[in-house]
Amino acid sequence: MTGVLARVNPLVLIAVSLLALVASLGIRDLTGAVITLGGYLVAGVILLPARSGPPARFAAVAAGALSVAYSSWLLGGRHLEAAVVAGLRIVVLALPGAAVAPLVDPAVLAGQLGQRLRLPHRFAVSLAAALHRFDQLGRTWHELARARRARGSGPGRGPVSRARYAASITFALLVATLRDATGLAVAMDARGFARARTRSWAEPAPWTRADTAVLLAGVALAAVPHAVGALFVR
Amino acid sequence: MEGARRRKVPAMLDNPVARLRYRTIDLVTVVMLGVAVGVVFWGWDQLYHVLSGAAAFAFPPSKGIFGGAWLLGGLLGGLIVRKPGAALLTEVVASSVEALLGNGWGFTNVISGAIQGAGAELVLALFLYRRFGPVVAMLAGTVAAAGEALYEWAVYYPEWALGYRLAHLGFFGVSGALVAGLGGWAVVRSLARTGALDAFGPGREHHDRAAARLR
Repeated sequence: MTGVLARVNPLVLIAVSLLALVASLGIRDLTGAVITLGGYLVAGVILLPARSGPPARFAAVAAGALSVAYSSWLLGGRHLEAAVVAGLRIVVLALPGAAVAPLVDPAVLAGQLGQRLRLPHRFAVSLAAALHRFDQLGRTWHELARARRARGSGPGRGPVSRARYAASITFALLVATLRDATGLAVAMDARGFARARTRSWAEPAPWTRADTAVLLAGVALAAVPHAVGALFVR
Repeated sequence: MEGARRRKVPAMLDNPVARLRYRTIDLVTVVMLGVAVGVVFWGWDQLYHVLSGAAAFAFPPSKGIFGGAWLLGGLLGGLIVRKPGAALLTEVVASSVEALLGNGWGFTNVISGAIQGAGAELVLALFLYRRFGPVVAMLAGTVAAAGEALYEWAVYYPEWALGYRLAHLGFFGVSGALVAGLGGWAVVRSLARTGALDAFGPGREHHDRAAARLR
């Protein structure tokens, strides 16, 4: 609602999503699962902006959780409660990351990786360059598809024909990517990239109070199931 | 081919520091390959949901057979660039991009990516980044699959009885060896044939083979 998450550091968004793994591993029973998931849902309702991305991503989380719940029921001795807990564990694991993924700006992320996390700058800059070419990939894909259609080699109706078509375009996309990479590397080296001693950045990478607050909230949420487990010792 | 005579390795490639140091093109290729594979992963996601859903209802451990495709990032990066960390980085970048585009697992699949990449990396490192043939590739695929299967046991399927978990490991391992290992090796060979890998080991070897055939 407040949309705080749309303004925080992408590093924090990713850290909170990864901490969900810690939460997921701490879930022992139904009580813990429900309280933990409730915590994440409340935090999500308060912190997410109103229209934060495609709703279909939540369906994908639900599909994964249902599949795990069903298999845990089938292969784990057919205990209903254990199966429900297994499913909820997957929801807790995947939901935070799926919810915030559309809010992460790849260019800002690359800047933060280089300046805030101090990853080797050659890597951070290459990553930024590669992520900038992201849209290029979509355009290349459409070009390849159009070229195939113009030559009359589009996909047929059957699944085999479609799979062959997808594989052929994927391969062509890899070739285009590798050629692009060669060109880009030559261009970067022509500008002295390999031997650069000092590095300047296009954008600053600030760390705000909201970042600290959201990170702490993420740590607290991840601690919830462990606290519940410790309080309600069976 | 007049096989027995061993080709002499060029001096630059024999120097261990030069052989293992990242040139700009290595770094740029790793990240751009990672981004491209991440987009492909994202496309594969849509199909994977249907296939693994069907497998889950038939016999859940059998969905491991569709898992090998997830390991291709590490295999391609490692087999093309042939430097320490290339497999790990490619797979991590690919899984991050897949998460950024939106999938059903959020950013925790970056952890899966790191484990898968590390599995492939481990095998390439054991062979001291000197062997990149089909057997090494299959080994790398198998180890990457085993790592991912162990992670999935702990995080996704702790309720499964041990026998089923072992079946899952078996399916995943076979898929890792064939789809990721042998498949990745074959894709790299085909890529070399297009000339796109001329700046890398597989491209040079392709031209060596072509020259040997002409002789």
